[in-house]
Amino acid sequence: MTEPLISRRIGIFLALLFVVTVAVPLGNLVIAPGSTGHVPSHIVALLGKYLCYALLAVSLDLVWGFAGILSLGHGAFFALGGYAMGMHLMREIGDRGVYANPLLPDFMVFLGYSELPWFWYGFDMFWFAALMVMFVPGVLAFVFGWFAFRSRVTGVYLSIITQAMTYALLLAFFRNEMGLGGNNGLTDFRDVLGFDLTADSTRSALFVLSGLALGAGILVGRILTTSKLGKVLVAVRDAESRTRFLGYRVEHYKLFVFVVSAMMAGIAGALYVPQVGIINPGEFSPANSIEIVIWVALGGRGTLVGAALGALLVAAGKSYLTAAFPEIWLFVLGAVFILVTIFLPKGVLGLIESRRAQKRDTLVPDAKSAEAKA
Amino acid sequence: MGNTFRNLCIGTALAGCLATAPAFAQDDTIKVGILHSLSGTMAISETTLKDVMLMLIEDQNAKGGVLGKQLEAVVVDPASDWPRFAELSRELIDGQGVDVVFGCWTSVSRKSVLPVFEELNSILFYPVQYEGQESQRNVFYTGAAPNQQAVPAVDYLMEEEGVERWVLAGTDYVYPRTTNQILEAYLLEKGVAPEDIMINYTPFGHSDWQTIVSDIAAFGSAGKKTAVVSTINGDANVPFYKELGNQGISAEDIPVVAFSVGEEELAGLDTEPLVGHLAAWNYFMSVDTEENDEFITAWQDFIGSEDRVTNDPMEAHYIGFNMWVKAVEAAGTTDTDAVIDAMVGVAVPNLTGGLSSMGPNHHITKPVLIGEIRDDGQFDVVWETPGLILGDEWSDHLPESAELIADWRAPMSCGNYNVETGQCGGATN
Amino acid sequence: MRLVAAVVWLCISFASPGFAQTLEALMAKLPDGNFSQREEVVREIAATGDDRAAKLLEVLSEGSLHQRKSDGAILWVTGSRRDLTGADPLTGENLGPVEPRSTSAIKVNNSLRRTIRAAIGSLRLMHPDPVRRMEAAEAAFNAPDATQLEAIEAALVAEQDSDVAAALTQARAVTILETDAPLSDRVAAISVIGERGGRGALNALAGYRASDEPEIAVAAAEAVAKIERTQAMWAQVQNVWFGLSLGSVLLLAAVGLAITFGVMGVINMAHGELIMLGAYTTFVVQEFIRTSMPELFDWSLLIAAPLAFLVAGGVGVAIERGIVRHLYGRPLETLLATWGVSLVLQQLVRSLFGPSNREVGNPSWMSGAFEVGEMLVTWNRFYIILFAVAVFAGLLLLLRGTALGLQMRAVTQNRAMAAEMGIRTGRVDALTFGLGAGIAGLAGVALSQIDNVSPNLGQSYIIDSFLVVVFGGAGNLWGTFAAAFSLGIANKFLEPFAGAVLGKILILIFIILFIQKRPRGLFPQRGRAVEG
Repeated sequence: MTEPLISRRIGIFLALLFVVTVAVPLGNLVIAPGSTGHVPSHIVALLGKYLCYALLAVSLDLVWGFAGILSLGHGAFFALGGYAMGMHLMREIGDRGVYANPLLPDFMVFLGYSELPWFWYGFDMFWFAALMVMFVPGVLAFVFGWFAFRSRVTGVYLSIITQAMTYALLLAFFRNEMGLGGNNGLTDFRDVLGFDLTADSTRSALFVLSGLALGAGILVGRILTTSKLGKVLVAVRDAESRTRFLGYRVEHYKLFVFVVSAMMAGIAGALYVPQVGIINPGEFSPANSIEIVIWVALGGRGTLVGAALGALLVAAGKSYLTAAFPEIWLFVLGAVFILVTIFLPKGVLGLIESRRAQKRDTLVPDAKSAEAKA
Repeated sequence: MGNTFRNLCIGTALAGCLATAPAFAQDDTIKVGILHSLSGTMAISETTLKDVMLMLIEDQNAKGGVLGKQLEAVVVDPASDWPRFAELSRELIDGQGVDVVFGCWTSVSRKSVLPVFEELNSILFYPVQYEGQESQRNVFYTGAAPNQQAVPAVDYLMEEEGVERWVLAGTDYVYPRTTNQILEAYLLEKGVAPEDIMINYTPFGHSDWQTIVSDIAAFGSAGKKTAVVSTINGDANVPFYKELGNQGISAEDIPVVAFSVGEEELAGLDTEPLVGHLAAWNYFMSVDTEENDEFITAWQDFIGSEDRVTNDPMEAHYIGFNMWVKAVEAAGTTDTDAVIDAMVGVAVPNLTGGLSSMGPNHHITKPVLIGEIRDDGQFDVVWETPGLILGDEWSDHLPESAELIADWRAPMSCGNYNVETGQCGGATN
Repeated sequence: MRLVAAVVWLCISFASPGFAQTLEALMAKLPDGNFSQREEVVREIAATGDDRAAKLLEVLSEGSLHQRKSDGAILWVTGSRRDLTGADPLTGENLGPVEPRSTSAIKVNNSLRRTIRAAIGSLRLMHPDPVRRMEAAEAAFNAPDATQLEAIEAALVAEQDSDVAAALTQARAVTILETDAPLSDRVAAISVIGERGGRGALNALAGYRASDEPEIAVAAAEAVAKIERTQAMWAQVQNVWFGLSLGSVLLLAAVGLAITFGVMGVINMAHGELIMLGAYTTFVVQEFIRTSMPELFDWSLLIAAPLAFLVAGGVGVAIERGIVRHLYGRPLETLLATWGVSLVLQQLVRSLFGPSNREVGNPSWMSGAFEVGEMLVTWNRFYIILFAVAVFAGLLLLLRGTALGLQMRAVTQNRAMAAEMGIRTGRVDALTFGLGAGIAGLAGVALSQIDNVSPNLGQSYIIDSFLVVVFGGAGNLWGTFAAAFSLGIANKFLEPFAGAVLGKILILIFIILFIQKRPRGLFPQRGRAVEG
């Protein structure tokens, strides 16, 4: 049985995403402030950030939901993509920094650098930075995956060493000797490709780009997972040894999807940075990576759309709760995680679809069983 | 379909709440934003500042508010997550419509919100000692710059204790890096030999200090009086001081002078073995003045515990808040531009018996106090500057900033004016 | 002006009966002038030889000597900010409550405190208590004062205790170096100090390497070089010790996880918070002891340990019964639920105890240090190593030697079979998880002695704990043991070269590479259960 490329749930999601991607910028730019339907600028930036998180979640779902690789270090790929973009934005500041140094970013002047470190070369060109956004996380994922999958490091062991990876990177990026701004990271960005980052139009453009990237990410994921490769990956997830004995080079499949996923995470990071205006080592913290896993689980693992949905829900929930209930929001969030894990093993999307299936069941009693096993 | 659609919408709907919820802002109150982490790693320091702001606002309301209106505190929790600081400052200014924000602790959180305050043209009061090298129109720095803390402390050790050998130990981030750079330049200027300076950086939350403390002890046994200048941050201090105490390094042998250790940090420590170690601040709870006594009593009554201490960043908020109140009353409005203009030159009493005023560089004048730790977790002031010192935003001891000044008054209105080229640096106007 | 002062000075001197001023007159002079003038007065007080002088100086050095603002009287003030009591500093007679802010403290700084310590030392060289005499001798060694030579020599003649006598001999040697005694005496003194060794000796001698007299300079340089050689040797031993100590902390933090994660397969992200609960239990116990029975303070940790085990274990059982139970067979999902638990526990503690650090004191037997050769061993680290090993041994005994242990192993190895044999697997699961959690609580008791007791405590140990268990091989307790100590020692040998941060990064990279080589850790589980 071949699955259609655009399934019902993906179709609905993409349609909604399209509507939001068009409506929000229109609401911000066209509808005058004060009238109904106007979307304030800070909401545009906020939603743009959520979309980046959603793309990040989709990238994790690709490896965890379909290939069974639970990466507790996906935040590292996201952050590396973010740093690549941040380095470009730093260079674009040029001599408008506080020390008015045409070559060196402020923090380097500040720490007494006399010349630009070698790895900063090339980042003044957008195309180079854009390439690095995918290349750096991709290479890291390739090297890491090549070693790990070849040695058949699996399950929890793999999870823990991915966590060790992001932790090591966290410590490394904290070091000021790294030449990447230490704890403060990269900030004070002014414009991207000549467009002022604080302008509403730039924000809206970034928002649209994030929306497109998320849509593209879901499509790419869908293409991969509905292809023969996707079937093999699911086989790997469910019975790795058996797949290997059937003659598949398991590590190649895993490596491929791991690298694609890392690149996707890198793109999410690159779009995230200009919208929030800062990238710093905190993004590498293991807790962040665990949170990504939670988004995916909460939304519904192995569904792509569910992952995106989970990210949007948790991020929006956090924004709302930290502002509305600053003293007790952690209780709420913690309780939600616990309850979802116990009562919604297939996530929010699973809940939605099982309710739908229940309705359908009353009409067509046996339609559900196939889906339940997926 | 309808069902699915509704559920899929939750994500956007929740976000939508943010846009619609704050619409019912009342006109008869002035909103004051409080942007301090109440969870995560920085909650340990920042929660107290949220409480002190609530107390100050309550007091002011009891006195009749500002411009005849009551103040309304809007508290949010950025959860020690730097991008969230930016997000929530937008929410405060754009969403909640606050007129002023008191907040941030770490430099990175301040850096993260700076563009937001600049873009949305609002006001931030930043109450923590920091590395300087910054002056922004929308920010008022009520904590100490390095010249208000580090340099006088080193002078004191050199003159009073006869220290000749220096360990500069810090957490690896911008504040210690800059402070140590300034101090190193300063010490070399004073004729200290390079081999008599040891610089050491540790990561955040470093908890195993055995090796470093024993290195310090070894460095200190070269026959010259040795002192440690500590810019070790927050959490790492407790295990550091515990190790010092246990390895028997007393203040009489190798004194440690710290810039990030105050009453609040000592509250988590048995200070018996630490007696005599030093800290440099602009305020100590033990300072014996009428204002301070009132402040402490008010604070302990507000929080409902006689065990709670006061510290320097709390005083910074006290000064900053009173300055803001005075400037708003002088301007007759909470309009950002009018208040910013009215702020420069405003003077209010600080808690150490002086009158702190806001300089044109948006830093304030403060006395520098050197205190020694007592066995009850308080400090004894052993030295203080004769007068008040204005925070120096661009350090004179660093070559790249020596010719920069900041003056936000009308003709110049610049945060990084280069006195040599006569140009206003590269900041956007 | 100066003449007037001198005349006044003379008058005061002659006005007092006997050869020196009375203690009362000197005490009245303490509040005046700056620190160096105060140092002068302290020396004069010591020179009176008055019996009450030592006590007075002690009170002064504690900072409890105040001057009343109204009449300038000197008081000994004790108590807290809103509840102060005054006493006569010379007689100790209680003078009743003191109004806050009605007095101002006579300030003491480090160098004054040094002078006071030396002054008290000189007063106590002949003290009946040998401990006091030892302190006095050490004070004289650390602050050599040529004028004290006679007193030291007199004390040396009278000294019966051989340890004190040795200390006095060294003090005498340091003091001789300060005088212009004959060259040979001073060279001999250098060798006496060199014999003593250690940092104190290094400190005392280092300055003389630059002496004008070549003999002194050479002798000092030789002695210093010799001490430094010994110290370099001991530094290696010290590194091993530091490593063992770090390893013991890692072991304590990880061994509970070795049960819940290693044996049961639950990715327990709330493990760190269970450690934190143990630390807060210690805090509560100490708080209770402080307020109701301060004499038991030294026992506080021993009382806290079982309570911490029960508290953390109880929470563990609750987590298992309430949450983890529903997730067996879905190990990765336990990660999510326990992450939620950790957020809730953190915030709970923050709401109950406040966000800031709480003070957990060291009992007297865990404070300070003792010397082994040239190496300083701190008591708290020493006991933590013992404690870690004891906990580990206890755990092994429990698993190997008791019926419960047997059931635990049976259930984890083959649940269905164990259930068939009549083992109540649910109960065993809960107890196993509770055991792991309880051990985390015990770790919290130990960590409260060296780290912050704050809501963030757990966060700083969780990643290390997982790494240790994985590195050792999940499911193997000895693996955890070996992993903890080898990582601890490796870390401490890297630290001097690479620095603390880089050292840690290198260790992480090493673990990542090691797992590639041996995907199931140092001591892998063997057998059929491995796959899946």
